[in-house]
Amino acid sequence: MNKDSPRNALFAVLITALVCSSLVSAAVVVLRPIQLNNQMLDRSRNIMQLTGLLPGGQAVEDDEMLELYKSLDRRIIDIDTADFENEMDPGTFSKRRALTDPELSVAIPPDLDQASLGRRTRFAPVYMVWKENTLDRVILPVRGSGMWSMLYGYIALEPDLSTISGMTFYEQNETPGLGDQITHDHWLEQWQGRRIYDDSGSPRFRVSEGVVAPGSASAEFEVDALTGATVTGNAVTGLMHYWFGPHGYQDFLLALREQAPERPAQTSP
Amino acid sequence: MSSMQTLTTPLVKENPVTLHVLGICSALAITNSLTSSLIMSVALTTVLIISNAAISAVRQYLPSSVRLLVQITIIASAVTVIDQFLSAFMPEAARTLSVYISLIVTNCIVLGRAEACAMKNGVGTSILDALGNGMGYSLILIIVATIRELLGNGTLMGYRLFELAHEGGWFQENALFLLAPSAFFIIGFLVWGVRIWKPEQKEKPDFEPISLPHGEERR
Repeated sequence: MNKDSPRNALFAVLITALVCSSLVSAAVVVLRPIQLNNQMLDRSRNIMQLTGLLPGGQAVEDDEMLELYKSLDRRIIDIDTADFENEMDPGTFSKRRALTDPELSVAIPPDLDQASLGRRTRFAPVYMVWKENTLDRVILPVRGSGMWSMLYGYIALEPDLSTISGMTFYEQNETPGLGDQITHDHWLEQWQGRRIYDDSGSPRFRVSEGVVAPGSASAEFEVDALTGATVTGNAVTGLMHYWFGPHGYQDFLLALREQAPERPAQTSP
Repeated sequence: MSSMQTLTTPLVKENPVTLHVLGICSALAITNSLTSSLIMSVALTTVLIISNAAISAVRQYLPSSVRLLVQITIIASAVTVIDQFLSAFMPEAARTLSVYISLIVTNCIVLGRAEACAMKNGVGTSILDALGNGMGYSLILIIVATIRELLGNGTLMGYRLFELAHEGGWFQENALFLLAPSAFFIIGFLVWGVRIWKPEQKEKPDFEPISLPHGEERR
Protein backbone atom coordinates (compact mmCIF):
# COMPACT_ATOMS: atom_id res chain seq x y z
CA MET A 1 0.00 0.00 0.00
CA ASN A 2 1.21 3.50 -0.81
CA LYS A 3 2.67 5.11 2.33
CA ASP A 4 2.04 8.63 1.02
CA SER A 5 -1.62 8.27 0.13
CA PRO A 6 -3.99 10.87 1.65
CA ARG A 7 -5.76 8.12 3.57
CA ASN A 8 -2.54 7.04 5.18
CA ALA A 9 -1.56 10.60 6.02
CA LEU A 10 -4.89 11.14 7.75
CA PHE A 11 -4.50 7.87 9.60
CA ALA A 12 -0.99 8.73 10.80
CA VAL A 13 -2.09 12.13 12.07
CA LEU A 14 -5.11 10.68 13.87
CA ILE A 15 -3.08 7.98 15.60
CA THR A 16 -0.42 10.50 16.66
CA ALA A 17 -3.02 12.90 18.01
CA LEU A 18 -4.77 10.14 19.92
CA VAL A 19 -1.64 8.66 21.49
CA CYS A 20 -0.06 12.03 22.33
CA SER A 21 -3.21 13.54 23.80
CA SER A 22 -3.83 10.52 26.01
CA LEU A 23 -0.24 10.67 27.30
CA VAL A 24 -0.49 14.39 28.05
CA SER A 25 -3.92 14.03 29.70
CA ALA A 26 -2.69 11.15 31.82
CA ALA A 27 0.29 13.18 33.01
CA VAL A 28 -1.93 16.17 33.84
CA VAL A 29 -4.52 14.09 35.72
CA VAL A 30 -1.96 12.11 37.70
CA LEU A 31 0.17 15.12 38.65
CA ARG A 32 -2.70 17.54 39.38
CA PRO A 33 -3.09 16.71 43.10
CA ILE A 34 0.64 17.20 43.69
CA GLN A 35 0.60 20.51 41.84
CA LEU A 36 -2.44 21.71 43.80
CA ASN A 37 -0.69 20.78 47.04
CA ASN A 38 2.37 22.78 45.91
CA GLN A 39 0.15 25.76 45.17
CA MET A 40 -1.48 25.51 48.58
CA LEU A 41 1.91 25.32 50.31
CA ASP A 42 3.18 28.27 48.29
CA ARG A 43 0.13 30.40 49.11
CA SER A 44 0.31 29.55 52.81
CA ARG A 45 4.03 30.34 52.86
CA ASN A 46 3.35 33.69 51.20
CA ILE A 47 0.78 34.53 53.87
CA MET A 48 3.04 33.34 56.67
CA GLN A 49 5.85 35.54 55.41
CA LEU A 50 3.51 38.53 55.61
CA THR A 51 2.60 37.76 59.22
CA GLY A 52 6.20 38.15 60.32
CA LEU A 53 5.71 35.08 62.52
CA LEU A 54 8.13 32.86 60.63
CA PRO A 55 11.51 32.70 62.35
CA GLY A 56 13.85 34.73 60.16
CA GLY A 57 17.19 33.63 58.78
CA GLN A 58 16.42 29.93 58.51
CA ALA A 59 14.35 27.78 56.22
CA VAL A 60 11.13 26.58 57.81
CA GLU A 61 9.94 23.10 56.91
CA ASP A 62 6.57 22.80 55.17
CA ASP A 63 4.94 20.95 58.08
CA GLU A 64 6.00 23.50 60.66
CA MET A 65 4.91 26.32 58.37
CA LEU A 66 1.48 24.71 57.83
CA GLU A 67 1.08 24.23 61.56
CA LEU A 68 1.70 27.96 62.13
CA TYR A 69 -0.59 28.81 59.24
CA LYS A 70 -3.45 26.78 60.69
CA SER A 71 -3.13 28.53 64.03
CA LEU A 72 -3.65 31.95 62.42
CA ASP A 73 -6.80 33.89 63.31
CA ARG A 74 -8.61 33.56 60.01
CA ARG A 75 -12.00 35.18 59.56
CA ILE A 76 -14.51 35.87 56.85
CA ILE A 77 -15.67 39.43 56.33
CA ASP A 78 -18.70 40.72 54.49
CA ILE A 79 -17.22 43.47 52.34
CA ASP A 80 -20.53 45.29 51.72
CA THR A 81 -21.72 45.45 55.33
CA ALA A 82 -18.12 46.04 56.47
CA ASP A 83 -18.48 43.52 59.26
CA PHE A 84 -17.29 40.08 60.25
CA GLU A 85 -19.37 37.19 59.01
CA ASN A 86 -19.43 34.56 61.73
CA GLU A 87 -21.71 32.01 60.09
CA MET A 88 -19.26 30.84 57.47
CA ASP A 89 -16.41 28.44 58.01
CA PRO A 90 -13.14 30.15 57.04
CA GLY A 91 -11.55 26.74 56.56
CA THR A 92 -13.76 25.79 53.64
CA PHE A 93 -14.54 29.16 52.08
CA SER A 94 -13.20 29.36 48.53
CA LYS A 95 -12.94 32.74 46.83
CA ARG A 96 -12.80 31.21 43.37
CA ARG A 97 -15.90 29.08 43.92
CA ALA A 98 -17.77 32.00 45.48
CA LEU A 99 -16.96 34.18 42.48
CA THR A 100 -19.03 32.03 40.12
CA ASP A 101 -21.93 31.81 42.55
CA PRO A 102 -24.45 34.64 41.93
CA GLU A 103 -25.53 34.42 45.59
CA LEU A 104 -22.03 35.00 46.87
CA SER A 105 -20.73 37.61 44.43
CA VAL A 106 -21.71 41.06 43.17
CA ALA A 107 -21.09 42.99 39.98
CA ILE A 108 -18.70 45.92 40.29
CA PRO A 109 -20.00 49.28 38.98
CA PRO A 110 -17.94 50.01 35.84
CA ASP A 111 -16.83 53.45 37.05
CA LEU A 112 -15.35 51.92 40.19
CA ASP A 113 -13.78 48.91 38.50
CA GLN A 114 -10.16 50.12 38.37
CA ALA A 115 -8.88 46.55 38.57
CA SER A 116 -11.01 45.34 35.58
CA LEU A 117 -12.55 42.53 37.57
CA GLY A 118 -16.22 42.63 36.52
CA ARG A 119 -17.36 40.84 39.66
CA ARG A 120 -16.10 40.30 43.15
CA THR A 121 -17.11 38.02 45.97
CA ARG A 122 -19.27 39.47 48.73
CA PHE A 123 -17.04 37.83 51.30
CA ALA A 124 -13.31 37.73 51.74
CA PRO A 125 -11.02 35.84 54.09
CA VAL A 126 -8.82 38.05 56.24
CA TYR A 127 -6.05 37.14 58.65
CA MET A 128 -5.59 38.92 61.96
CA VAL A 129 -2.13 38.67 63.45
CA TRP A 130 -1.93 39.24 67.20
CA LYS A 131 0.98 40.18 69.39
CA GLU A 132 -0.02 39.57 72.99
CA ASN A 133 -3.54 41.00 72.98
CA THR A 134 -3.10 43.83 70.50
CA LEU A 135 -3.62 43.66 66.79
CA ASP A 136 -0.25 43.53 65.01
CA ARG A 137 -1.16 43.07 61.37
CA VAL A 138 -4.18 42.57 59.14
CA ILE A 139 -3.73 40.58 55.94
CA LEU A 140 -6.16 41.06 53.06
CA PRO A 141 -6.43 39.32 49.67
CA VAL A 142 -6.34 41.46 46.52
CA ARG A 143 -6.51 40.70 42.82
CA GLY A 144 -6.62 42.55 39.53
CA SER A 145 -6.21 42.07 35.78
CA GLY A 146 -2.61 42.48 34.65
CA MET A 147 -1.19 42.51 31.15
CA TRP A 148 -1.93 38.85 30.39
CA SER A 149 -3.23 37.32 33.56
CA MET A 150 -5.07 37.80 36.81
CA LEU A 151 -2.72 38.94 39.57
CA TYR A 152 -3.45 37.37 42.96
CA GLY A 153 -1.81 38.75 46.04
CA TYR A 154 -2.00 39.43 49.74
CA ILE A 155 -1.22 42.67 51.48
CA ALA A 156 -0.38 43.10 55.15
CA LEU A 157 -1.26 46.31 57.00
CA GLU A 158 0.06 47.76 60.22
CA PRO A 159 -2.43 48.38 63.06
CA ASP A 160 -3.06 51.94 61.74
CA LEU A 161 -4.69 50.13 58.76
CA SER A 162 -2.99 52.40 56.24
CA THR A 163 0.71 51.64 56.45
CA ILE A 164 1.82 48.61 54.43
CA SER A 165 3.94 46.08 56.26
CA GLY A 166 4.29 43.68 53.36
CA MET A 167 3.00 42.67 49.94
CA THR A 168 3.17 39.47 47.95
CA PHE A 169 1.87 38.16 44.62
CA TYR A 170 1.42 34.39 44.79
CA GLU A 171 -0.07 33.83 41.35
CA GLN A 172 0.49 35.72 38.09
CA ASN A 173 1.43 35.05 34.50
CA GLU A 174 2.99 38.30 33.39
CA THR A 175 5.79 38.57 30.84
CA PRO A 176 8.87 36.75 32.16
CA GLY A 177 11.67 39.21 32.87
CA LEU A 178 9.38 42.25 32.65
CA GLY A 179 5.96 42.05 34.31
CA ASP A 180 6.97 39.20 36.58
CA GLN A 181 9.23 41.64 38.42
CA ILE A 182 6.18 42.18 40.66
CA THR A 183 7.20 38.95 42.41
CA HIS A 184 10.80 40.04 42.99
CA ASP A 185 11.73 40.61 46.63
CA HIS A 186 13.75 43.76 46.05
CA TRP A 187 10.71 45.46 44.52
CA LEU A 188 8.22 44.15 47.07
CA GLU A 189 10.49 45.26 49.91
CA GLN A 190 9.89 48.87 48.85
CA TRP A 191 6.23 48.50 49.79
CA GLN A 192 7.15 48.21 53.45
CA GLY A 193 6.27 51.39 55.32
CA ARG A 194 4.46 53.02 52.39
CA ARG A 195 1.02 54.43 53.16
CA ILE A 196 -2.20 53.66 51.27
CA TYR A 197 -4.50 56.44 52.49
CA ASP A 198 -3.69 60.15 52.47
CA ASP A 199 -4.86 62.47 55.25
CA SER A 200 -8.30 62.93 53.65
CA GLY A 201 -8.79 59.16 53.83
CA SER A 202 -8.81 58.35 50.11
CA PRO A 203 -6.48 55.76 48.61
CA ARG A 204 -3.37 57.37 47.15
CA PHE A 205 -0.84 54.56 46.92
CA ARG A 206 0.47 53.93 43.40
CA VAL A 207 3.30 52.54 41.31
CA SER A 208 5.28 55.57 40.19
CA GLU A 209 6.28 56.43 36.62
CA GLY A 210 9.96 56.30 37.42
CA VAL A 211 12.18 56.05 40.44
CA VAL A 212 10.54 57.53 43.52
CA ALA A 213 12.36 60.71 44.55
CA PRO A 214 13.14 60.37 48.25
CA GLY A 215 11.72 63.24 50.25
CA SER A 216 9.18 64.28 47.64
CA ALA A 217 5.62 64.96 48.80
CA SER A 218 4.28 61.69 47.37
CA ALA A 219 7.28 59.48 48.25
CA GLU A 220 5.49 57.79 51.12
CA PHE A 221 2.65 56.72 48.81
CA GLU A 222 4.73 55.37 45.91
CA VAL A 223 7.00 52.53 44.86
CA ASP A 224 9.39 52.53 41.88
CA ALA A 225 8.09 51.83 38.38
CA LEU A 226 8.92 48.50 36.75
CA THR A 227 11.19 48.80 33.72
CA GLY A 228 9.43 47.61 30.59
CA ALA A 229 6.26 46.70 32.44
CA THR A 230 4.13 49.85 32.46
CA VAL A 231 0.89 47.91 31.92
CA THR A 232 1.57 45.57 34.83
CA GLY A 233 2.58 48.53 37.03
CA ASN A 234 -0.61 50.39 36.20
CA ALA A 235 -2.59 47.24 36.91
CA VAL A 236 -1.06 47.08 40.37
CA THR A 237 -2.00 50.74 40.95
CA GLY A 238 -5.51 49.94 39.72
CA LEU A 239 -6.00 46.99 41.99
CA MET A 240 -4.76 48.96 45.00
CA HIS A 241 -7.20 51.79 44.22
CA TYR A 242 -10.08 49.39 43.74
CA TRP A 243 -9.53 47.21 46.79
CA PHE A 244 -8.87 50.13 49.13
CA GLY A 245 -11.57 52.31 47.56
CA PRO A 246 -15.28 52.64 48.42
CA HIS A 247 -16.25 49.37 46.70
CA GLY A 248 -13.38 47.46 48.32
CA TYR A 249 -12.17 47.25 51.90
CA GLN A 250 -12.39 50.97 52.72
CA ASP A 251 -15.56 50.71 54.83
CA PHE A 252 -14.36 47.58 56.57
CA LEU A 253 -11.07 49.23 57.49
CA LEU A 254 -12.90 52.32 58.77
CA ALA A 255 -15.15 50.15 60.91
CA LEU A 256 -12.16 48.23 62.19
CA ARG A 257 -10.44 51.49 63.15
CA GLU A 258 -13.56 52.65 65.02
CA GLN A 259 -13.90 49.45 66.97
CA ALA A 260 -10.87 47.27 67.41
CA PRO A 261 -11.70 43.56 67.35
CA GLU A 262 -11.07 41.31 70.29
CA ARG A 263 -8.53 38.58 70.23
CA PRO A 264 -10.44 35.29 70.09
CA ALA A 265 -10.05 32.82 72.92
CA GLN A 266 -7.09 30.71 72.01
CA THR A 267 -7.78 27.14 71.12
CA SER A 268 -4.22 26.05 70.56
CA PRO A 269 -1.35 26.72 72.97
CA MET B 1 30.22 6.58 12.25
CA SER B 2 30.82 4.55 15.39
CA SER B 3 28.42 4.96 18.28
CA MET B 4 31.12 6.67 20.34
CA GLN B 5 31.54 9.20 17.56
CA THR B 6 27.79 9.77 17.34
CA LEU B 7 27.92 10.66 21.00
CA THR B 8 31.00 12.90 21.00
CA THR B 9 30.87 14.70 17.65
CA PRO B 10 28.10 17.11 18.80
CA LEU B 11 30.18 18.18 21.81
CA VAL B 12 32.59 20.48 19.98
CA LYS B 13 33.03 19.43 16.36
CA GLU B 14 29.36 19.79 15.47
CA ASN B 15 28.06 21.59 18.51
CA PRO B 16 24.42 22.58 17.98
CA VAL B 17 24.95 26.01 19.52
CA THR B 18 28.38 27.13 18.32
CA LEU B 19 28.39 25.51 14.86
CA HIS B 20 24.73 25.31 13.86
CA VAL B 21 23.76 28.34 15.99
CA LEU B 22 20.54 26.65 17.17
CA GLY B 23 18.82 26.95 20.53
CA ILE B 24 20.13 30.49 21.03
CA CYS B 25 16.86 31.82 22.48
CA SER B 26 16.98 29.73 25.64
CA ALA B 27 20.78 30.10 25.84
CA LEU B 28 20.21 33.85 26.20
CA ALA B 29 17.19 33.71 28.44
CA ILE B 30 17.99 31.37 31.28
CA THR B 31 21.79 31.39 31.58
CA ASN B 32 21.89 34.11 34.25
CA SER B 33 21.79 31.37 36.87
CA LEU B 34 23.65 28.08 36.82
CA THR B 35 20.83 26.23 38.58
CA SER B 36 18.23 27.09 35.95
CA SER B 37 20.73 26.28 33.20
CA LEU B 38 21.31 22.82 34.64
CA ILE B 39 17.57 22.14 34.92
CA MET B 40 17.06 23.46 31.40
CA SER B 41 19.88 21.24 30.11
CA VAL B 42 18.37 18.14 31.69
CA ALA B 43 14.88 19.07 30.43
CA LEU B 44 16.07 19.68 26.86
CA THR B 45 18.18 16.50 26.78
CA THR B 46 15.22 14.46 28.05
CA VAL B 47 12.86 15.97 25.47
CA LEU B 48 15.45 15.39 22.75
CA ILE B 49 15.88 11.72 23.69
CA ILE B 50 12.12 11.08 23.91
CA SER B 51 11.35 12.82 20.63
CA ASN B 52 14.28 11.32 18.72
CA ALA B 53 13.44 7.82 19.94
CA ALA B 54 9.71 8.14 19.20
CA ILE B 55 10.19 9.70 15.78
CA SER B 56 12.84 7.19 14.80
CA ALA B 57 10.54 4.34 15.86
CA VAL B 58 7.66 5.49 13.64
CA ARG B 59 9.74 6.91 10.77
CA GLN B 60 8.94 4.09 8.37
CA TYR B 61 5.20 4.64 8.71
CA LEU B 62 5.31 8.40 8.39
CA PRO B 63 3.94 9.81 5.14
CA SER B 64 6.33 12.59 4.13
CA SER B 65 3.47 15.05 3.56
CA VAL B 66 2.59 15.14 7.27
CA ARG B 67 5.92 14.24 8.84
CA LEU B 68 6.62 17.72 10.29
CA LEU B 69 3.15 17.81 11.77
CA VAL B 70 3.62 14.47 13.50
CA GLN B 71 7.13 15.39 14.65
CA ILE B 72 6.05 18.64 16.26
CA THR B 73 3.07 16.93 17.94
CA ILE B 74 5.39 14.36 19.49
CA ILE B 75 7.85 17.07 20.59
CA ALA B 76 5.11 19.25 22.06
CA SER B 77 3.65 16.32 24.00
CA ALA B 78 7.04 15.43 25.45
CA VAL B 79 7.60 19.05 26.49
CA THR B 80 4.16 19.34 28.11
CA VAL B 81 4.72 16.18 30.12
CA ILE B 82 8.15 17.40 31.31
CA ASP B 83 6.63 20.77 32.19
CA GLN B 84 3.93 19.07 34.27
CA PHE B 85 6.54 16.94 36.05
CA LEU B 86 8.63 19.98 36.88
CA SER B 87 5.71 21.92 38.33
CA ALA B 88 4.74 18.90 40.43
CA PHE B 89 8.14 17.91 41.77
CA MET B 90 10.31 21.03 41.40
CA PRO B 91 7.80 23.88 41.81
CA GLU B 92 10.53 26.37 42.69
CA ALA B 93 12.48 25.65 39.50
CA ALA B 94 9.31 25.61 37.42
CA ARG B 95 8.51 29.10 38.68
CA THR B 96 11.94 30.51 37.83
CA LEU B 97 12.01 28.94 34.37
CA SER B 98 8.35 29.86 33.74
CA VAL B 99 7.66 29.81 30.00
CA TYR B 100 11.11 28.69 28.92
CA ILE B 101 10.34 25.04 29.58
CA SER B 102 7.27 25.16 27.31
CA LEU B 103 9.39 27.04 24.77
CA ILE B 104 11.57 23.94 24.32
CA VAL B 105 8.97 23.09 21.65
CA THR B 106 10.37 25.91 19.55
CA ASN B 107 14.00 25.02 20.24
CA CYS B 108 15.37 24.31 16.78
CA ILE B 109 17.77 21.67 18.10
CA VAL B 110 14.86 19.31 18.80
CA LEU B 111 13.16 19.57 15.41
CA GLY B 112 16.57 19.80 13.73
CA ARG B 113 17.76 16.49 15.17
CA ALA B 114 14.40 14.87 14.37
CA GLU B 115 14.77 15.80 10.71
CA ALA B 116 18.52 15.33 10.39
CA CYS B 117 18.95 12.15 12.38
CA ALA B 118 15.83 10.42 13.68
CA MET B 119 14.12 10.30 10.28
CA LYS B 120 17.11 8.46 8.78
CA ASN B 121 18.51 6.28 11.55
CA GLY B 122 17.47 3.50 13.90
CA VAL B 123 16.27 4.05 17.44
CA GLY B 124 19.65 3.29 19.06
CA THR B 125 21.62 5.72 16.91
CA SER B 126 18.92 8.37 17.34
CA ILE B 127 19.05 8.12 21.12
CA LEU B 128 22.86 8.42 21.13
CA ASP B 129 22.62 11.38 18.78
CA ALA B 130 20.04 12.99 21.06
CA LEU B 131 22.22 12.42 24.10
CA GLY B 132 25.25 13.86 22.32
CA ASN B 133 23.45 16.96 21.11
CA GLY B 134 21.81 17.42 24.50
CA MET B 135 25.26 17.34 26.10
CA GLY B 136 26.67 19.71 23.50
CA TYR B 137 23.90 22.19 24.27
CA SER B 138 24.32 21.66 28.02
CA LEU B 139 28.07 22.26 27.75
CA ILE B 140 27.57 25.69 26.19
CA LEU B 141 24.80 26.55 28.65
CA ILE B 142 26.94 25.61 31.64
CA ILE B 143 29.95 27.62 30.39
CA VAL B 144 27.83 30.70 29.67
CA ALA B 145 25.91 30.42 32.95
CA THR B 146 29.06 29.98 35.03
CA ILE B 147 30.57 33.16 33.56
CA ARG B 148 27.34 35.13 33.85
CA GLU B 149 26.36 34.16 37.36
CA LEU B 150 29.89 34.56 38.72
CA LEU B 151 30.57 37.98 37.18
CA GLY B 152 27.02 39.25 37.49
CA ASN B 153 26.30 38.18 41.01
CA GLY B 154 29.43 36.66 42.55
CA THR B 155 27.57 33.40 43.18
CA LEU B 156 27.39 29.92 41.66
CA MET B 157 24.15 27.97 42.06
CA GLY B 158 23.24 30.50 44.71
CA TYR B 159 26.39 29.94 46.82
CA ARG B 160 28.37 33.10 47.39
CA LEU B 161 31.93 32.75 46.10
CA PHE B 162 32.92 36.40 45.78
CA GLU B 163 32.09 38.84 48.56
CA LEU B 164 30.32 41.84 47.08
CA ALA B 165 31.89 45.28 47.47
CA HIS B 166 28.77 46.90 48.92
CA GLU B 167 28.58 44.14 51.53
CA GLY B 168 32.14 44.69 52.64
CA GLY B 169 33.91 42.35 50.21
CA TRP B 170 36.13 43.07 47.23
CA PHE B 171 34.04 42.06 44.22
CA GLN B 172 32.27 44.70 42.15
CA GLU B 173 29.49 42.83 40.36
CA ASN B 174 28.61 43.74 36.78
CA ALA B 175 24.86 43.76 36.28
CA LEU B 176 25.27 43.60 32.51
CA PHE B 177 26.08 39.92 32.91
CA LEU B 178 22.63 39.31 34.35
CA LEU B 179 20.99 40.75 31.23
CA ALA B 180 20.45 38.73 28.06
CA PRO B 181 22.85 40.72 25.80
CA SER B 182 25.87 39.48 27.77
CA ALA B 183 25.07 35.92 26.65
CA PHE B 184 25.38 37.16 23.06
CA PHE B 185 28.93 38.35 23.73
CA ILE B 186 29.93 35.19 25.55
CA ILE B 187 28.49 32.88 22.89
CA GLY B 188 30.15 35.07 20.25
CA PHE B 189 33.54 34.66 21.94
CA LEU B 190 32.93 30.92 22.29
CA VAL B 191 32.17 30.60 18.56
CA TRP B 192 35.32 32.59 17.81
CA GLY B 193 37.41 30.42 20.13
CA VAL B 194 36.09 27.16 18.71
CA ARG B 195 36.75 28.32 15.16
CA ILE B 196 40.36 29.23 16.00
CA TRP B 197 40.80 25.78 17.50
CA LYS B 198 38.99 24.04 14.62
CA PRO B 199 39.52 26.21 11.53
CA GLU B 200 37.51 23.82 9.34
CA GLN B 201 34.37 25.24 10.99
CA LYS B 202 34.98 28.63 9.41
CA GLU B 203 32.41 29.45 6.79
CA LYS B 204 33.38 30.62 3.33
CA PRO B 205 32.56 34.30 2.83
CA ASP B 206 29.30 34.81 0.94
CA PHE B 207 30.92 37.39 -1.33
CA GLU B 208 34.49 37.93 -2.44
CA PRO B 209 35.34 41.54 -1.69
CA ILE B 210 35.72 43.50 -4.94
CA SER B 211 39.38 44.28 -5.49
CA LEU B 212 39.91 47.53 -7.33
CA PRO B 213 42.81 48.01 -9.74
CA HIS B 214 45.66 50.03 -8.27
CA GLY B 215 45.46 53.77 -8.39
CA GLU B 216 41.76 53.94 -9.26
CA GLU B 217 39.58 55.97 -6.93
CA ARG B 218 36.42 54.29 -5.67
CA ARG B 219 33.33 56.22 -6.54
